[in-house]
Amino acid sequence: MAELSDKDIVKKIKNGEIDYYSYIVKKYTTSIYRYIERKLFKKDEADDLVQNVFISFYKAIEKFDEERPIKPYLFQIVQNELKMYFRSYKKSLPLDERIVSEDKQAELKIEDFKLLNSQESGIFKHISEGYSYEEIAKVVKKPLNTIKSIVRRGRLKIKKIYL
Amino acid sequence: MKKLEDRIIKKIYRIETEKTIGQIISEAALIIPIVLSSMFIFSVIVEILNEQASFDLFDFLRDDFETIRDNFFNNSLLFIQEFPLPLIYILIGLLLLLILLLFILAKNSNKIKNKLVSIYKFWLK
Repeated sequence: MAELSDKDIVKKIKNGEIDYYSYIVKKYTTSIYRYIERKLFKKDEADDLVQNVFISFYKAIEKFDEERPIKPYLFQIVQNELKMYFRSYKKSLPLDERIVSEDKQAELKIEDFKLLNSQESGIFKHISEGYSYEEIAKVVKKPLNTIKSIVRRGRLKIKKIYL
Repeated sequence: MKKLEDRIIKKIYRIETEKTIGQIISEAALIIPIVLSSMFIFSVIVEILNEQASFDLFDFLRDDFETIRDNFFNNSLLFIQEFPLPLIYILIGLLLLLILLLFILAKNSNKIKNKLVSIYKFWLK
């Protein structure tokens, strides 16, 4: 059993002998875990990511060409998982961590308004009160795209100061 | 690391168990109604042919060989013409679908069998 190559193992798994998947898991878990662990902010999330990598590979194994090596394919999945992880992680960063959120409802501090001109700060105040861009456009009697441009300009100003 | 490996393998088996059972149930849910409805339609066709006395067209089969030889082709054609065609088309469609499903099932039977054996070994042994 130990002499089986990756190709034979994949063939067997494709034939329904799923117990052979444990060989793949045992063979690659350590290297994948170490790689992921080095990249993460929170080390305790490495377990979940490693699990997701093997689940994704298992789901894709039917389409996987057994002539190809497994390791590069697994690391490609690792890259995708890490991308998704960082994307979700970014969303949860608050403004005071020097990230200006793209969210319409982003909360701004009082001192942020000082950076903006009267028009921009007026619009940002409306945003912080929970108004949508459409509603603000109606209130200030300006086109929607102008409002969006003003918001974008204002955000860039704030971003420049923070970054 | 061993704990993580076990967790991954357990998760894989859970996914595969759900997938395999779902596959078996969905195939059974397709095949059983097709078989039942085919049988029902077949019985309806036989009933209709009986009411039309279409089977009497084959009474000549009790006669001698000469009569059978002379009448077999013509009477068979007449018998076919008396078929309730819409029901026959439905029956043929159902049977083709059944053959296709059985072919897919037969093609995957070895794989499903191996999966079931692996699942059984993992969960019940």
